[in-house]
Amino acid sequence: MRRTWLFEPVGPVRYEASNEAMHDLAERRLSDEAPDSLILLEHPPVFTAGRRSKPEHLVWSEREAAARGAAVHHIDRGGSFTFHGPGQLVGYPILHLGVRPDAAAYLRALEDAVIRTGAALGVELHRRDDVQTGVYAGDDKVCAIGVRLMRTRVTLHGFAINCDTDLSWFDGIVACGLPDNGVTSLSALLDRDVTVDEVRPIARRALADVFDLDHVPAPPDELERFRSALVA
Amino acid sequence: MTSIQMPQLGETIVEGTILKWLKAEGEEVDRDEPLFEISTDKVDTEVPSPVAGTLTKIVVAEGETVPVGTELAMIDSGNGEGPAEPAPPAAAAASSGTPATEAGGSGTVAPDEASDASAAPAPPPSSPVGASQGAPVAGGTSLPDRGPRSQILSPLVRRLAQERGIDLATVAGSGTGGRITKADVMAAAPSATVSSVSWGGVGPAAPQPTTSAPVSVAPPSIGAGAAEGETVEPLSHIRKAIATHMVASVNETARAWTMVEVDVDHLVKLRERAKDGFLATHGVKLTYLPFVVRATVDALKAFPMVNSRIDGENVVTPRGVHMGIAVSYDAGLIVPVIKDADAMNSVGIARAITDLAARARGHQLKPDEVQGSTFAITNPGPYGSLVSVPIINQPNVAILALDAIQKRPVVVEGDAIAVRSVVYVSMSWDHRLLDGEIATRFLARVKQNLESWDFAEDLGI
Repeated sequence: MRRTWLFEPVGPVRYEASNEAMHDLAERRLSDEAPDSLILLEHPPVFTAGRRSKPEHLVWSEREAAARGAAVHHIDRGGSFTFHGPGQLVGYPILHLGVRPDAAAYLRALEDAVIRTGAALGVELHRRDDVQTGVYAGDDKVCAIGVRLMRTRVTLHGFAINCDTDLSWFDGIVACGLPDNGVTSLSALLDRDVTVDEVRPIARRALADVFDLDHVPAPPDELERFRSALVA
Repeated sequence: MTSIQMPQLGETIVEGTILKWLKAEGEEVDRDEPLFEISTDKVDTEVPSPVAGTLTKIVVAEGETVPVGTELAMIDSGNGEGPAEPAPPAAAAASSGTPATEAGGSGTVAPDEASDASAAPAPPPSSPVGASQGAPVAGGTSLPDRGPRSQILSPLVRRLAQERGIDLATVAGSGTGGRITKADVMAAAPSATVSSVSWGGVGPAAPQPTTSAPVSVAPPSIGAGAAEGETVEPLSHIRKAIATHMVASVNETARAWTMVEVDVDHLVKLRERAKDGFLATHGVKLTYLPFVVRATVDALKAFPMVNSRIDGENVVTPRGVHMGIAVSYDAGLIVPVIKDADAMNSVGIARAITDLAARARGHQLKPDEVQGSTFAITNPGPYGSLVSVPIINQPNVAILALDAIQKRPVVVEGDAIAVRSVVYVSMSWDHRLLDGEIATRFLARVKQNLESWDFAEDLGI
C-alpha cells in the first residue's frame, strides 16, 4: 500500500491555482518531501491546450471562448485541447512510478480505474485501440486523459470524467484533436443525473484498487491551497 | 563521453518526439537535471541527464521523432564536477535571455511553461540552476566535497534557499550521499555571505537576460578571418536563430514579388486631423500601420489562400487572421502576433501593435505571443525605404511590406497632374501555393480598401 495524500476540495477550484499546487506537490514528491497525492476536484469552465494542440482544433477563438467565460490555458501535459467545467470530475494523481517507469502502463491503469468506475455505476466503458488514450462508450468519449511525467517518473495532470457536464462546451474545440468522435457524459449514458458528488467516492476507490493506494486526508495546510482557490 | 538515448518509457512505447532541448550545446548539466522534453502518445515528460557534464553535441533536433534507443546527444562527463564556469561575456549572457527572443520567426519557439504564467513547472533553463554553482564564487567560499549526489538540489530546496537568503555552500546535507534536503535549509541560518545579487535578484518566474545560467562560450579568438583593427564577437543566440529561419525560408519557398502603388492622400489628412485626439483618447500614437492591417485583414478574408500555410502534402487554412508584425529591437528582429486581428477595429489594432512592440523591445513577450501568425506585415517605411523585398516568415505563404509614404506627382482624373501622398505596398509570396493572379488580386483589394474606406468611422471620429 502506498500512503497517499487525498485532496478533495468541494466546489470549483481555479485552474491556475490547482495547476500550480499540483506541480509543487510533484516537485516535492520527486525529492521525497511529500508522499504520493491524489487530487479530485471540479474546475470552473476552462479550456486547456496540451503540447500537441493545433490552433485549428480550437473552434471558437480564444477571445470568443473567454467571452463565454472559459479562458484558454496552454499547459505542459501531453495531448490536445480539452475542456474542464462544472459537472466534471477531474483527477490529478501525483504518483512516483519507481525506477523503471512505464508511461504506457500508467495510462492503461488510469483507463482501467475509469472503466471500473463506470462498471460500478452500471455503464460499460472501454478503451479504443484505434485511437488515442481515453475512455469511451461506443464512439463517444466519456473521459479525457492527458499526462506529463516529471523527470520521467512522477506523474502530473490526469483524467476528466464527464458526470453531468454541459456538453455544449465541447462545441468550442475538436476534443483531443479527434474530429470524428463525439463527447458524452455518465448522465447521458444512464439517462439520469449523475453528479460529481456521486462519482467521486467510486472513482477514489477504483484508483485505490488499481494503484494500491492508502488514502489519508491531506494535512490542513496543504489542503488550504485548494480551498483558498475555490470559486465562490 | 556519455551517449544520451531516447528512453524506453514502457514496453509498448517504441518511439518518441523531442519537444524541446532544455540545454544548449556547450552548457553544463547536473546529474538528474532536466535535459530535454519528449512526447509519446499522450504522455509528455522531461528527461533528466544520467550524468553531470557538458552537453557537447545534440544529434536529434526538436520536433524529430525517433525510435527508442536512438542516440540523441553526447555529454562529456570527464570534468563534470570541475570548477564553476567563469562569468560569461556580457553579450553571451544577454543573448541567452528570454525564450521569446529566440523567435527570429514565429516557428522557432517551442511552447513552454512560460506560456502559462500560473504554471510552476520544472525549472526552465534560465532558472538559478547555474547560480548554485556560481554562489561560491560570489561568496568567496567553496562547496565542501560531498560527492556527486550533493550537487542535486530539489527545486524546493533551491527556492527555499533563495527566499531565505541561505548560502547552500555552507549547508551540510543530511540526505542520501550528502544531499541537501528541505529540513537542512529550514534549519540553516540565513547567511550574510550571499547577497541577493548572486542569485540574480529575481525569481525564475521573471527571467531576465542577466540571470541566465552561465553558458559556456568559447572566447572569441582572433583567427585567420580577422585582420588587425577588426573586432570579433560571437553571433548571438538570437542572431543565429534569425539566420537559420531566414535561410530556411529562402531555401524552401519559391518567392515571387508584386507591388502596387496606393494613393493615401486622404489617410495622411485624416491622421493629421485625428492624431492628437487619438493620443488623448486612447493613449497610443496613431500611425498608418493599423489602417494597413485593417485593409489587409479584409483582403485575407476575401482571399483565404493567402492566409494559409503548407503542411506536408496539405494546405491548412485557419478560420481567423493572426497578424504577425515585424518589430526590430536591440537583439534583432521579432514577429509578435496580433491574435484574432479579424475581430478588431483600427483602435484595437493600434493598441495591440503599441503593446506588442513595447513589450518586444522590453523583452517581455511570452512565447505564445510570437507564435501562430497566419500572415505578416513589415513596415520599413519610417526609415525611408521606398521599395523592399521581404523574406517570407514561414510557415506563412506571404508577407506584406509597407514602405515610405511620399508626396509625388501623379496623374489623377481628367488627365491632370496633382501632388498626392502615395506609397508602394508590396508582397513577397510563395509561388508553391499562390499564383500571380491571386497575389495581384489580393494586393489590388488592399489598395482598393486603403483608397476607398472611410477610416474616420472606424476610429470613432
